[in-house]
Amino acid sequence: MKAAALAVTAVVIAVLPFELSGYHQGLAASVAVYVIAILGLNIVTGYTGQISIGHGAFMAIGGYTTAIMSHDHHTSLLATLPLSLAITFVCGVLVGIPALRLSGVYLALATFALAVSVPQFALKFSKFTGGSNGIQTSKTVSHLWLYGVSWSCAAIALAAAWLILRGRTGRAFRAVRDSELAASASGVSLAIYKTLAFGISAAFAGVAGSLFVLATNGFAQPNEFGVFLSLTLLIGAAVAGLGSLWGVLAGAAFVALLPTVSQSVPLVGSAHGQDVAFGLAVILVMLLLPTGAAGLFVRIRTLRPNNADTTES
Amino acid sequence: MEIARRLAQRPVLLVLAGGCVFLVVGSLDSSIFAQQTVAGLAQGAIFGSLALALVLIYRATEVINFAQGEMAMATTYVAFQLTKWGLSYWAAFAITLVVAFVFGTVVQLVFIRPVQQKSVIAVVIVTIGLFILIDGLVTWRFSAQLQFMPAPFGNSVYHVGSVAVSRQALGTLLVSVLSVILLGVLFRFTKLGLSMRAAALRPAAARLVGIRVDWMLAIGWGLAAVLGAVAGLMTEPTQFLQPTMMQSILLYAFAAAVLGGLESPVGAVVGGLALGVFLNLIGQYVGFVGAALQLPLAFAVLLGVLLVKPNGLFGRALVRRV
Amino acid sequence: MGMNRRVLAVVAATVFVAGATVTAASGAQKTDPGVTATSITIGGTFPLTGVASLYSTIPLAEQAYFAYVNAHGGVNGRQITFDVLDDQYDPSKTVPLTQQLVEQDKVFADYGSLGTAPILSTWGYLNQQKVPQVLVATGDSYWGFSHKAYPWTIGFQPDYPGESKIYGKYIQASMPNAKIGVLYQNDAYGKNYLAGLEVGLGAGKNKIVSKQAYDVTAPNVTQQMLSLKASGANVFFDFATPTASIQALVTATKIGWSPTATFVNNVSAPATFMHLAAANGANIDNTISSTYLEDASVPSEANLAGVKLGKAILAQYAPKLDPTNQLNFYGLASAWTMVYALQNAGKTPTRAGLMAALRSLNPAKAKNPFLYPGIQLQTSATDAFPIEQQILVKWGGGATGTWTAFGKLYNGAR
Repeated sequence: MKAAALAVTAVVIAVLPFELSGYHQGLAASVAVYVIAILGLNIVTGYTGQISIGHGAFMAIGGYTTAIMSHDHHTSLLATLPLSLAITFVCGVLVGIPALRLSGVYLALATFALAVSVPQFALKFSKFTGGSNGIQTSKTVSHLWLYGVSWSCAAIALAAAWLILRGRTGRAFRAVRDSELAASASGVSLAIYKTLAFGISAAFAGVAGSLFVLATNGFAQPNEFGVFLSLTLLIGAAVAGLGSLWGVLAGAAFVALLPTVSQSVPLVGSAHGQDVAFGLAVILVMLLLPTGAAGLFVRIRTLRPNNADTTES
Repeated sequence: MEIARRLAQRPVLLVLAGGCVFLVVGSLDSSIFAQQTVAGLAQGAIFGSLALALVLIYRATEVINFAQGEMAMATTYVAFQLTKWGLSYWAAFAITLVVAFVFGTVVQLVFIRPVQQKSVIAVVIVTIGLFILIDGLVTWRFSAQLQFMPAPFGNSVYHVGSVAVSRQALGTLLVSVLSVILLGVLFRFTKLGLSMRAAALRPAAARLVGIRVDWMLAIGWGLAAVLGAVAGLMTEPTQFLQPTMMQSILLYAFAAAVLGGLESPVGAVVGGLALGVFLNLIGQYVGFVGAALQLPLAFAVLLGVLLVKPNGLFGRALVRRV
Repeated sequence: MGMNRRVLAVVAATVFVAGATVTAASGAQKTDPGVTATSITIGGTFPLTGVASLYSTIPLAEQAYFAYVNAHGGVNGRQITFDVLDDQYDPSKTVPLTQQLVEQDKVFADYGSLGTAPILSTWGYLNQQKVPQVLVATGDSYWGFSHKAYPWTIGFQPDYPGESKIYGKYIQASMPNAKIGVLYQNDAYGKNYLAGLEVGLGAGKNKIVSKQAYDVTAPNVTQQMLSLKASGANVFFDFATPTASIQALVTATKIGWSPTATFVNNVSAPATFMHLAAANGANIDNTISSTYLEDASVPSEANLAGVKLGKAILAQYAPKLDPTNQLNFYGLASAWTMVYALQNAGKTPTRAGLMAALRSLNPAKAKNPFLYPGIQLQTSATDAFPIEQQILVKWGGGATGTWTAFGKLYNGAR
């Protein structure tokens, strides 16, 4: 059942761009970018229990890697993606090591510090990053290219996440989340798995960041990676919920598309409908679905006639 | 001797005492050092006043309220509107505090209560949503333009030698200290304060003795909103009235709150003051840091403190029961 | 500008238009996107919310001007529709919004978009798509210098380095003993201002005794002002965006620093900001700045035709906007230029025609009423800066005072 649904979705995504205008292809590509980033965030926050409000920083590192390599060394854009993955993986592990000492709200604030600091570094080291004038890749890509590459990467990311999470690593992550004491008593090395979670999630965010920059016409600049990006990822992860890859699609679509849609909400006398509508939407979704879309899907599943002996939660 | 023994038992106090000695000596020695220190204290008082609100909410409800700055900004606009309708500044101030209390309580009841039992992350997300919503509403109603409000303590400046201290800065510091004292009195000596502490620490047990835990949480948010309103009104003379006025302050207030220990009102103010002085002295004496890295530096200090003292300067170490 | 230059400009424009017409004719026979028999649709991206939202009043003033034009017959009978989108000063939003304007809303031109980084993120795309990116609202000089590589992009206001060069020249001429302290934003905006000052000072560059940078995330600039005071500087240059500029002026007074001369950059000089500074305790008399626009806050300019027209337009079509905020007059001046260019872009406006009109602005014909008397719009094949002249102004009258122009008209050109 699930495999069939997956196959149908894959076909739809493959065929969709040819039905869409270029602009809509670009929008759809941005959904894929958020899918990848939110998947990564879900791994470290949802499955391993380490809250991160700093994944925008890893997107920045990945994005700048692509822009700088392409600008300075004319590296092919596709080739910058694995490079971005490797660099942000290492950065994630490096962040994960001191993070071992922190937990809960203190960890969240430490990652928040990261989110705030990385754009400032980009501003400061302007010789490498172009500073406030940004840095531009040497080639730009068409909407169709972006769609194809983003969704291919998203598919790979989804497959990778699924493999990681259903295997031993995933079980170790969940053990760490549910009880660190019990996990380490059972022989799960907290140090290894917690830093691994950070590394993997950072790598996902790094690739998302590269694609994010490519979607911004190949232009990387500090203002693109402000605190709000990290907060948006967190919103996406919360809306996605845990335990459902479909949920991730919903969460990504929510944060990627809603601001654009809410922009056309007419509010008397101003163009500020966007903020009000998005803020309200975020609040409403959380009030109605505190466990995210994944929670909703679980509830829908338990309502089906096959599960007659399951009561509604 | 007694003091020395007490200090030795609490290393944090020792460090702070040492820091104060350093500042005094430096100020006596160099005029610019003194000026930067005093300016840093003035700025730090502002960080501390918003950090107080963050700490109160965290202590009462274990929530990091991302919308604290925007709530403070919105209540400042309420005061602005009241002054435009002809009220005197202090009358507007008083009414704003009442409005803020109601505002905070309503926000907790309507937006936070439905989710607070279900999921920690959901509450955080709701506060982020509130941030966006409040910012949009205020900008819609008042526009993004700069507005003028009279300063609570006027524009005059006192000069001690070459050091300038504005009346406003003294007023802000006074108000922050007063707030900490009032909070302390509330928590330690009143039944309400005791109920709030019980509700935060042991909600289940508190219910058993008849404390309306849900109402205590709402009141906690109301009080925090009042503190936020005070912070906003104290901040307005230096940031001026615009929708973005609290956004940079919020970042530093987070750092100050965590530095001081998220559950300690005293820590919030001390953390703020320390942060303000630190930033000014670094800016003056450590040139290569440059303007862009000041914010990361503030956070680096914060992280450094967290690694050594994971619960902040004045935070209590939590004992985890197995 | 000699006759030859003018002839060259006209010839260039004609060739441009002819070439474009041939290309267009050899393709489809339809008009350029965004143009119908009864309307022209243009769009732009602006920071309506977020960190730069102070400038959000500019597109509102521009919309007011277009409403006025529409009420008086439009552009050769066509009504202007101006789509204003909020990019929050974030290029990752500017790009998709610009793509929306071009590919979804099919605008005729990207008009007045604000911010250096947002423009840099989209100028490649717009030039590749051959969509005019006109009268961009930023004083960085890149657009003027890169018009060969990016022919579809053109700026509007006098550029920042040109402005500070004028200040430098003024100091060299009239303040030989100046010791200069500079406060500047630590990004391209501030650094370009500083660079222009150094160019204007020329041999006198060593008059600068202290340079203090501040970051936009900093809550205030007290530390920098204290350092400037301690350096012994007696001339203060304020190259800051409005909020920080007001803080700097207030702080200077509060820390007891009274430089013999204070210079405020044009962006932060609108009377509304100066009044706010004074109301918060700043001593602002004798502050110097520069301007190129008429100013409705200056009583002696109240009878200028442009001031009367601007006030009337704002009162009728945007009553919530404050006419004494010069940012609004900036919007009016820019919108006037756009309408003029649209009117001269061909009987049926074409994109190529629009660019040709903007690249051959003739001061004798393009008499923008909102520009300060004597200041002209002018461009040619070799000059891609529509406005290069400025006049110095000095503040008098304290908290309820105003700017008064003095001295000659300066030319900030290279």
